[in-house]
Amino acid sequence: MADEFMKGFGLFSVAALVWMISASWYRTPSFESTRQLVAAPPEEPGTVFDTLGIFLGDLMFWTALLGAFTFWVIIPATRQAREALVVDE
Amino acid sequence: MSDDNQPDARTDGGTGIVPPDDETPTWSERKKRRAGLPRLTYEYFERARREDQDLREQSTYVERDVLGFPTWPHELIRNLALTSFFVGMLLLLSATLPPHIGNPANPSSTPAIILPDWYLYWSFGLLKLGDLNPAISLLNGQKLMADRTYGVLANVVIVGAIAIVPFLNKGSARRPVEQPFWAAIGMGGVTFAFTMSMLSIQNIMPMNVSLLFDLTFLAPIVVGAITYAVLKTMREGYMYDLNRRYYRLRPPK
Repeated sequence: MADEFMKGFGLFSVAALVWMISASWYRTPSFESTRQLVAAPPEEPGTVFDTLGIFLGDLMFWTALLGAFTFWVIIPATRQAREALVVDE
Repeated sequence: MSDDNQPDARTDGGTGIVPPDDETPTWSERKKRRAGLPRLTYEYFERARREDQDLREQSTYVERDVLGFPTWPHELIRNLALTSFFVGMLLLLSATLPPHIGNPANPSSTPAIILPDWYLYWSFGLLKLGDLNPAISLLNGQKLMADRTYGVLANVVIVGAIAIVPFLNKGSARRPVEQPFWAAIGMGGVTFAFTMSMLSIQNIMPMNVSLLFDLTFLAPIVVGAITYAVLKTMREGYMYDLNRRYYRLRPPK
C-alpha cells in the first residue's frame, strides 16, 4: 500500500513538473499577469515543435491526475473490493 | 520469552514481519491495527524497525545505544544524492523555463502595487484586517482604534501566540503522530500563514476578495481538523518504544 502511494506520488510530481515547463511556455501570456500556466494555448502553433510541446503538456497534465488517481484510489479500491468478495476459508 | 520456532509466534496478522518478543503487541492492540491507516502505519514502522534490527545484526561495528554512522560512505553518499538532486533541478528549471530577468526597477517612479518580500506577506496581510475591527455602538458606531492600529495589534497578537508555544509544549515528541493535537496546531498555523499571505496580495489574486477573506480563517481550521483526525488514526498503529530505543542516550562504556 505504501509502495502504491509512492508510485502515484512519483507519477504526479514528475508529470506535473513537465506540465509546468510546457505550460510556462505555451499557457503563460505574461509573467506579470494573473493567469499564468492556465491560459489557453495559442490557436496557431508556429512550428511542429510547438504543437508537440502543447500536446506533451496536455498529456502530462492528465498523466499527473489519472496516474495519482489510479494508484491512490482505483487500485486500492479494487483490492478492497476483491478482498470483500472472496469468501474467507 | 517464546520460542521463534513455534508457528504461533506470528503475531502481526500475517505481514511476514515478526516483532521481537518484548515488543509483541497484545491482542487488543492487534485488533485495533487490523485495517486501514493504523495498519499501514504499523507496517511501515515495523518494517523500519526490522530493517534496523537486521542491519545491526549484520554490522561489524560495535553495537551502541546511540545509532551513529561513519561519515564515509553513509553520510556523504546521502548528501551527494541530495545535492545532485537539487543541482539537477536547478539546471533543469533554468534551462527549460522561459522567464527572463526583467528590466531594472525605475527608482524615480512608484509602482502601482507595493508589496514586501514574499516571506513577509503574512505580516502584511495582518495589516489588512480592517473588516474585523468592530464598530462599537457605545461610541455611536465609531471604531475604538484606527484600522492601521488594529493591524499592528494583530501582529502583536500573532507574534505573541507564536512566542508562547515553546512554553506550552516542550517538544518531546519525535514525530507528529506522537502528539496529534500540537501537530494539528502547527499545520493550522502554517496554513494560516499561507492564507494570510494570499490575503495580503488580494489585489492580484484571481478570486473574490470576500471569499478569500473567509477562506483565510476557515482553511486553517479545516486543515487542522483533518491533520488531527489523520494523526489520531495513525497513532493506533504507532510504536512508541521504537523512538525510545533509537534516541536513548547513555554514556559510553
